Amino acid sequence: MAEAMAAARQRAMARPSKPMGSGVLGHFDTLGSTLRTIGALREAGHKKLEVYSPIPSPEIEEALDIRSSPVRIWALVGGITGCLTGFLLTAGTSLAYPLVTQGKPLVSIPPYVVFMFELTVLLTGLFGFVALMVHSGRPVIKLDSTYRPEFSDDRWGIFVSTADADAMTRAESVLADSGAVETERCV
Amino acid sequence: MSGNHPTLADANRDLTRPISRPGKRFFIVLGVTGLGILLGGGAWAYQIAAGIGVAGISHPVFWGVYITTFVFWVGIAHSGTLISAILYLFRSGWRTTINRSAEAMTIFAVMTAGLFPLIHLGRVWYFYYLMPYPSDRQIWPDFRSPLVMDVFAVGTYLTISALFWFTGLIPDFAVLRDRAKGLAYKAYGALSLGWQGSVREWRHYRRVYLYMAGIATPLVLSVHSVVSWDFALSIVPGWHSTIFAPYFVAGAIFSGVAMVVTIMIPMRWAFGLESYITERHFENMAKLILLTSMIVGYSYATELFVAYYSADPIEIESFRWRANGAYALPFWVMVFCNVVVPQALWFKKIRTTLPALFALTIFVNIGMWYERFVIIVTSLAHEYDPASWGLYTPSWVELAILVGSFCWFFFWFLLFSRSLPVISIAEVKEHLAHDLEHAADTGAASANGSQENG
Repeated sequence: MAEAMAAARQRAMARPSKPMGSGVLGHFDTLGSTLRTIGALREAGHKKLEVYSPIPSPEIEEALDIRSSPVRIWALVGGITGCLTGFLLTAGTSLAYPLVTQGKPLVSIPPYVVFMFELTVLLTGLFGFVALMVHSGRPVIKLDSTYRPEFSDDRWGIFVSTADADAMTRAESVLADSGAVETERCV
Repeated sequence: MSGNHPTLADANRDLTRPISRPGKRFFIVLGVTGLGILLGGGAWAYQIAAGIGVAGISHPVFWGVYITTFVFWVGIAHSGTLISAILYLFRSGWRTTINRSAEAMTIFAVMTAGLFPLIHLGRVWYFYYLMPYPSDRQIWPDFRSPLVMDVFAVGTYLTISALFWFTGLIPDFAVLRDRAKGLAYKAYGALSLGWQGSVREWRHYRRVYLYMAGIATPLVLSVHSVVSWDFALSIVPGWHSTIFAPYFVAGAIFSGVAMVVTIMIPMRWAFGLESYITERHFENMAKLILLTSMIVGYSYATELFVAYYSADPIEIESFRWRANGAYALPFWVMVFCNVVVPQALWFKKIRTTLPALFALTIFVNIGMWYERFVIIVTSLAHEYDPASWGLYTPSWVELAILVGSFCWFFFWFLLFSRSLPVISIAEVKEHLAHDLEHAADTGAASANGSQENG
């Protein structure tokens, strides 16, 4: 298992990557040690942190003091757009092509609610997905130079971005003291 | 393994294991489904060449096996989004290992269902009449028609289900990418969209996934309601009923969960996933089958009671004939499979004995196909005017297409099972990570306690 991941890392290092600047990268094998390290680094004054996690973790977001995601605005706009589109499509075309059926009014709201609902759901989902791509900066072809294949396996990664040699040394000692299983200098 | 828990690395290894070079058995089964598709496709081609007259549908039963099978597959499609979205919102942890396959089933079932209105059209090249666009014929779809509602409902359901499924797969594609070489690396790399699991990505991902679950929940309830209105908005006795929407939704969940069990039991065995898909998962699904079976049974009884209580002779005759007429056998097969057989699930022994549960779900699958057949065919065959009564027998073309549809569904599912993770790796790891943290904390606390005592 470990050999497979070592080989995967070798392959990854040989591929072109997106430069992330210089700094120190720590590897962790538990969520708890990752959270403790984030706290220790922030206390030590390191604010520019990139954290990689194999699992979704609201605890890391809290530790980094990250605010809620703006994708909710996109979802709301998508939903309203879908609802209006549903109404305009059904009512507008009934007026543009008037044909009375079943003795009902040309603009029959109850059946049109179905289309408004369906398009609300459809565009909320599509807008949400687009928002995920836009705000995550995806899709990308080259991965970050600080990303390691282990971060999708069983390790968490914290990259402390700094160009200062002293700050790097201090960050390295915080990472090691907090239980990093591996630290790397990235230049 | 760490104690009784698999580690995160174990989960990656175990859950990506099925994606390997398939053996001979896999290709034999895939070949059989391929032959079934050829049979169904050939029958459809024959129908297109010879005309819709080669199907058994004729006056007065113009909706037969094709519409029956359409409703059946839309129903099957319900379990995926139910398990993914509704159980996600309720934070039901047991959904984690079954949601991916159930979602895949949803997509393949909608893909299968979507073929049937086209097959039923006969002249399939006119399907675009259903699409709203400014054509030179100056004709727009009638938005008051439930058939047009159906196009929008099923189309939206397919799109949102596929998007929900794909979004859930993105982190797992990254896992596969990071272990792959050559062409597989490029393919999984493209599908992962460059996912790296940074907190920035997870933050938006979690939020979008929650919203998708939120919108998919009313959607899953609405789709089969809209399908039921294809019937309920007409004035055909046996169809014109206000209970149709909840009745169809319960039936859809019933048949969908049964199909999940039918598929998951052999898949768990074939891929050695016993550590992840446990008896508890099957027991919970069995309870869901039992609950929805009771709702379906209650609906059958309500239909009969309302017909009697209405004192409307046509309504009474319609339901009397349904249970005692020419289609009494399908009716009683339906009651036996959907109401009587699932009562065995009151016994824990049956719920946790997988061969018994597997056999039971086969009965449910058969029973639910018959339910749609009974609703559709018996109502049309025996409407108001005795002069226009008539019987319907499916032709070989319809039955070949029916068989082909099952093969088409299983063909896609087999391909999915060998090319994508059948269990959501990220979600399983999320649960494992918390279990491992908890185990580590408990271990540390008890070690401290022993030291203090010592």
